[in-house]
Amino acid sequence: MSAHPDDNLISMLNQIALNLGGGRDEESAATATCRHVETFWARPMKQRLMASLARPETGLSATAHRAATLLAKRQEERRTG
Amino acid sequence: MIEHFDPRRQTNGVDFSKADFSKDYGTPAARPGAASVSVEIDGVRLSVPEGTSVLRAAALADISIPKLCATDSLEAFGSCRLCAVEIEGRRGLPASCTTPVVEGMKVTTQNARLAKLRRGVMELYISDHPLDCLTCPANGDCELQDMAGSVGLREVRYGFEGENHLAEQKDTSNPYFTFDPSKCIVCSRCVRACEEVQGTFALTIDGRGFDSKVAAGQDEAFMDSDCVSCGACVQACPTATLMDNSVIDHGVPDRSVVTTCAYCGVGCSFEAQMKGDKLVRMVPYKGGDANHGHSCVKGRFAFGYASHPDRLTTPMIRDSIDQPWREASWEEAIGFAAQRLKAIQAEHGRESIGGITSSRCTNEETYLVQKLIRAAFGNNNTDTCARVCHSPTGYGLKTTMGESAGTQTFDSVMKADAIIVIGANPTDAHPVFGSMMRKRLRQGAKLIVADPRRIDLLKTPHLNEAQHLPLRPGTNVALVNALAHVVITEGLEDTGFVARRCDTDAYQRWRAFISEPRHSPEASEMITGVPSEAVRRAARTYATAPNGAIYYGLGVTEHSQGSTMVMGIANLAMATGNIGREGVGVNPLRGQNNVQGSCDMGSFPHELPGYQHVADPIARGRFEARWGVALDDEPGLRIPNMFDAAIEGTFKALYVQGEDIAQSDPNTQHVEAALRSLDCLIVQDIFLNETAKFAHVLLPGSSFLEKDGTFTNAERRINRVRKVTPPVAGKQDWEVTQDLANALGYPMNYAHPSEIMDEIAALAPSFAGVSYEKLEQYGSLQWPCNDANPRGMPTMHAIDFPIGLGRFAITEYVATEERTNRRFPLLLTTGRILSQYNVGAQTRRTHNQHWHDEDVLELHPSDAEVRGVSDGDWLGITSRSGQTVLRARLSERMQPGVVYTTFHHPGSGANVITTDNSDWATNCPEYKVTAVQVEKVSQPSAWQQRFSAFDQTQKNHLESARQETP
Repeated sequence: MSAHPDDNLISMLNQIALNLGGGRDEESAATATCRHVETFWARPMKQRLMASLARPETGLSATAHRAATLLAKRQEERRTG
Repeated sequence: MIEHFDPRRQTNGVDFSKADFSKDYGTPAARPGAASVSVEIDGVRLSVPEGTSVLRAAALADISIPKLCATDSLEAFGSCRLCAVEIEGRRGLPASCTTPVVEGMKVTTQNARLAKLRRGVMELYISDHPLDCLTCPANGDCELQDMAGSVGLREVRYGFEGENHLAEQKDTSNPYFTFDPSKCIVCSRCVRACEEVQGTFALTIDGRGFDSKVAAGQDEAFMDSDCVSCGACVQACPTATLMDNSVIDHGVPDRSVVTTCAYCGVGCSFEAQMKGDKLVRMVPYKGGDANHGHSCVKGRFAFGYASHPDRLTTPMIRDSIDQPWREASWEEAIGFAAQRLKAIQAEHGRESIGGITSSRCTNEETYLVQKLIRAAFGNNNTDTCARVCHSPTGYGLKTTMGESAGTQTFDSVMKADAIIVIGANPTDAHPVFGSMMRKRLRQGAKLIVADPRRIDLLKTPHLNEAQHLPLRPGTNVALVNALAHVVITEGLEDTGFVARRCDTDAYQRWRAFISEPRHSPEASEMITGVPSEAVRRAARTYATAPNGAIYYGLGVTEHSQGSTMVMGIANLAMATGNIGREGVGVNPLRGQNNVQGSCDMGSFPHELPGYQHVADPIARGRFEARWGVALDDEPGLRIPNMFDAAIEGTFKALYVQGEDIAQSDPNTQHVEAALRSLDCLIVQDIFLNETAKFAHVLLPGSSFLEKDGTFTNAERRINRVRKVTPPVAGKQDWEVTQDLANALGYPMNYAHPSEIMDEIAALAPSFAGVSYEKLEQYGSLQWPCNDANPRGMPTMHAIDFPIGLGRFAITEYVATEERTNRRFPLLLTTGRILSQYNVGAQTRRTHNQHWHDEDVLELHPSDAEVRGVSDGDWLGITSRSGQTVLRARLSERMQPGVVYTTFHHPGSGANVITTDNSDWATNCPEYKVTAVQVEKVSQPSAWQQRFSAFDQTQKNHLESARQETP
């Protein structure tokens, strides 16, 4: 069982970043990870993930953190049109 | 002259004419594409394919030649001598079954000489046959009786007093059929069916001459032999020697309806044979495009659950799960459910509810449930049990080849020269296809099995060459990378195919990646445990075969890298050019009857029907226009996400149609906690399943025999399901969903499932050409079926991929986080067995219990010895998730360090021990790898004790509701 309710999402994102990282540099791995989350994750999961970026220790890998940050940026762009 | 177009002649697997499948042509069709030869039979001239027997040629011209040992599902045998004919210019009276036609042949099938011979033969048969036709279960359905009439048998000059077999004892050991040797004519049809059709070789003819008799195994009872009860022998028997017990009990059926089996993803066609409104027997339909007249123990015999007293017949409601059930009218129950759903959404928001579609229900029913969720619930919180089985197939194949489905027909295996089977157990889980694969293996195809266990396919009689790669659970990707490494570094790739059909940049990146020495078999041997030389040999076998085919199952998908492995398989097939023709391909063996269909029908939270993403404004717009509502453009929650959200308190209501998540999903205690957290759980099922025990609304489901619709099997084949009997609770499942939608204020007004299919065809491009009318015309259709492929597409990717060029994917091996250590030193992997199906809700309510009435833990004798475990001991199995207790079975099929169990019985708690770990891309659970410890115990686990008490309480709640009804 996860200690923090977001831990499961963090670990899922780290896993995605790790698996999509093969053969890619960090930037393209982060982009691919972000796209994956956009394509497959539900709205509340995305919101929770983006909110977790405010935590001092996110537990996200470097690529995953970059992907989450990119997600936040793209969601904001989408929201503001 | 009759120009005969052979009905079984096929081009790319498609039948272009209708055959009369109720007729027995005596011998199988000649090979497709054979040249024509002309023949004259009884003055009728006709042209047939070279290789056709005289018996078959006559049958094609509607000339019946008497026969007993011949039937068109088996090779000609020539033993009964009844089908003798005269052929101009030939001596004697040759058997027409074993005589192929030749150009200009002139045949006479009936004259005084032949009549005398046939009567003589029949006299001999009948002199050793009981004359009890009027009380015989085959009366009216007996070929021996028919032949006696046909040849005009009027007397038996030898009398009946001589030595005979009339006192032979019946073998009633099998619960489904009776073997009565006193009626046997030793035609060998049963023995040949067991060999040629089923491939088990359980039967033989024991003894010689007059003492010849059919024997199971080493002259054992059928149940003690290797017999797998597929029914092929019963089907082949021309007398009452092997007879369905249901026919013995109820008499010969008088009408039949062709429908599709609701067990595994093979999707066999059956004739449901009826007497009045009673289903007497299920007979595999010869015209079935998936099964060609074969069956397994489940489809053929295990249909009794449909009339089991446990069937739910009345809707039930209750306010909390601690209360007894209260029977309700359909209107009251639907109204109760709708009111609760609306109240929960009003209080907790639009996204606080969701639903799960069924992979056992029809396409039309599945489509309707996801439509209800998207249009009436107003969110995309829809998922299906494919989440926990083949979701990585969808992701992996779509990423690499552009379509979320297998590439071939089942028949394609008959052209494969090398067959790789990874993480699948076809002889148990897809038995009818397993038999076809065995047939091809007997013809000489080479077999490579990558599996931690030594599966039964490796024990195929007359197997040519078999290689077993016994990898450690969780190391699939390392193995497939090593296989691909050998292909590339030894220059075995199909450079022409790759250059023409695949994206060059992606290929070059992958090629550089896979060529790295760290992917060599020698380097990965430490990870997989498979000797490097065995991997090299397997890769060479596959890559150098003219046609190499890969078949895989849940042993590929149910891992933390399930999706990566599927892509690895696609890479391997593309690199060797094994895509786009018969005999090759990437073939996921889908578990449940309609798991392909449930994915096609938009059950996943991110995809509308036809695999169209919810964020695609054009696709979504078409659905919005047709459905008359605005649809959410964000994906919804997947099943495990729903559980997490329920426990957190943000997800409050769930509508589950025909799936038992409480038994089938991993980490049972987590699932139970999620279900208990719900304010409203609506379960629609044919039984009070484990999930229903946590429900507030219970809606009785209809079995596959009680509804119209379609199933889509593992080869993308859409088959009709036809209503045989009325629904026991009065409504087909689609009608219940429709009522719920209407009660929620979203109008649905379908009068028949065909109207739902018409809507699917209008919205999902790959189904554009599908209609009930067309299904009636062609029997079945393999999608994509549209203007470009009006009769469907048996073999995919022949010219190009839906994404244009195939995309190689980088498949880095990432070890699972579920690891063994001193506390949990063994790896548990789970699977299925032949006689039970999935959670067992159906098969546990049939005589299939005779074969498997409890789940056991298989472990290697060396692991047992160090723990002091003997066969049959009670074992506590503990993982990081929980503990359960099962009986031990020592088995050398396991490798040391790996233990195995099935999950067919709810009280076994197999999923109490499986964990929350899942595939990185799809959240498909990692059922196949759980670190465990095993020790001898004396009592059930704490969970099992709680389960037992809860189970009894809930059964009492149901029983008290039933007793209150006058």
